[in-house]
Amino acid sequence: MNHTWTLARRELMSYFNSPIAYTAIAVFLLLAGLQFLYGLVTPGAFGPGADFFEANEASLRVFFEGIPLLFAVFLPAISMRLMSDEQKTGTLELLVTLPVSEMQIIAGKYLASLVFLAVTLLFTVPYALTVAWLGNPDIGPILGGYCGLFLIGATYLAIGLMTSTWTQNQIIAFLLAAMICSGLYFVDSLVGNVWAATRPFFESISFKAHFQNISRGVLDTRDLVFFLSLITIAILLAAHSLESRKWKA
Amino acid sequence: MIEVKNLQKSYGDLEALKGLSFEVPRGQIVGFLGPNGAGKSTTMKILTCYMPASAGSVSIDGHDAFEAPLEVKKRIGYLPESTPLYSDMTVYDYLAYVAAMRDIPAHDRDARVRKISTTCGASTFLGQDIGTLSKGQRQRVGLAQALIHDPPILILDEPTSGLDPNQIREIRSLIKDLGRDRTIILSTHNLTEVMLTCDRLIIIHQGAIVADGTPEELEQREAQNPTIVLEVAGEGVDAEAVLKAVTALEAVTTAINRSNAHGRVTLAIEGRDGADIRPDLHALAVEKTWSVFELRRDALDLEGIFRQLTRQA
Repeated sequence: MNHTWTLARRELMSYFNSPIAYTAIAVFLLLAGLQFLYGLVTPGAFGPGADFFEANEASLRVFFEGIPLLFAVFLPAISMRLMSDEQKTGTLELLVTLPVSEMQIIAGKYLASLVFLAVTLLFTVPYALTVAWLGNPDIGPILGGYCGLFLIGATYLAIGLMTSTWTQNQIIAFLLAAMICSGLYFVDSLVGNVWAATRPFFESISFKAHFQNISRGVLDTRDLVFFLSLITIAILLAAHSLESRKWKA
Repeated sequence: MIEVKNLQKSYGDLEALKGLSFEVPRGQIVGFLGPNGAGKSTTMKILTCYMPASAGSVSIDGHDAFEAPLEVKKRIGYLPESTPLYSDMTVYDYLAYVAAMRDIPAHDRDARVRKISTTCGASTFLGQDIGTLSKGQRQRVGLAQALIHDPPILILDEPTSGLDPNQIREIRSLIKDLGRDRTIILSTHNLTEVMLTCDRLIIIHQGAIVADGTPEELEQREAQNPTIVLEVAGEGVDAEAVLKAVTALEAVTTAINRSNAHGRVTLAIEGRDGADIRPDLHALAVEKTWSVFELRRDALDLEGIFRQLTRQA
């Protein structure tokens, strides 16, 4: 556990020592702000042609609807370097010859990215405060929304960490993760709309459907189990892929 | 104590190691020597548990590298080839991180980092970002991270490659100091380095050990079959004719033309069963009226041995 935390601390140090973290957070917050006010990635969510003020509704509903989409691009950009960079620069060799297990390495990296996610979400709290100041929002959906955002973000990061163990090319790690994340987000509306019979199945594996349940303020074990099992699978596959160098040829 | 038994490694169809066996007792400095691609780095990567062997076994103080990698990793300090380090960290932060990963208690870390960086000559740039260091400075940081937990075994993959002669001399004397109370395996293709630092030499070629012994032993072994160098000149003397006359001698097994373009003929000649053939060559030269510029026994140095042993088949 100690080693995992040491690894995570080093990773966070790397994040915040480089301009990448600040740039990424700044861009994300800008887009998140536009989403909050104008529904940037969910056009028409405030009603036809309306924005946050014209909709006259004290809630973060539109914000919560859009963030998972922004996350599908933003979080893979955060996770892409986690393992790819170690492979590319050769530091992986020193990392795995330290007295730690593969699982500890992956856990440390994942922990660091979760802290990063939490920090990013903290920066969006002012939107919630704004809504609370302007009106009288229902607190349940806001708490639920944040739980949902953290869960879906944690799932994206686990997927991103997994793809970054697969390649030393950060761009490929990014594209693969963004594809998997957005694909699984839209899968019910993409396939389900065209082929109605499959809709129940694709809804059960779609990020969107599970996220919407949580962000309504309904914390169902089914949704929780869905996200947690995806995280577990991705983390196990990542550790497995790191261990694969040890397979006897 | 390092015990390597019949170590084999293949990458697909390529056989990188073809059954290496050796033992290194405590306190020895061993030099792995061999051309690029001989299998030096592969062997080191297996010793440090970076990757497993396809067959054979490695045990370090009785712990198998594949079965108990954590025990093995604790006892080893490793400097990989080309010294990969996190370039966005400062030297101090990086060494403190390795110290924490190596289970050095929090209250000892600062003292340990400072002590090791003084030993390795890295104390003057502790606050600098690793990305801004020179090659020599990086190498010092690489050595410092390998030494931070005071391991009984050090594995250094080309510790002096890319350094200038002064830096090489400094790192070399550092390694000699470190080797007083620990086992060191280092790889290099620099012969002088091996002669000056190592107690023992293992020459690896195409994935197999071709020689193993102290530098003196290896030199002696080769001295039993010396090469004689003959340099002659004269009116109408050409390499063809000299070569023909020399090979015709009863006692000569091989003669190789090493002539330069400056008008003299130079041959490298080996006698049968290591016999000293200098009197025969002198007699021949007198008979043919060649002017002799040189007639000497070419004591084969390590470089020659290395060249001979690793000649491509």
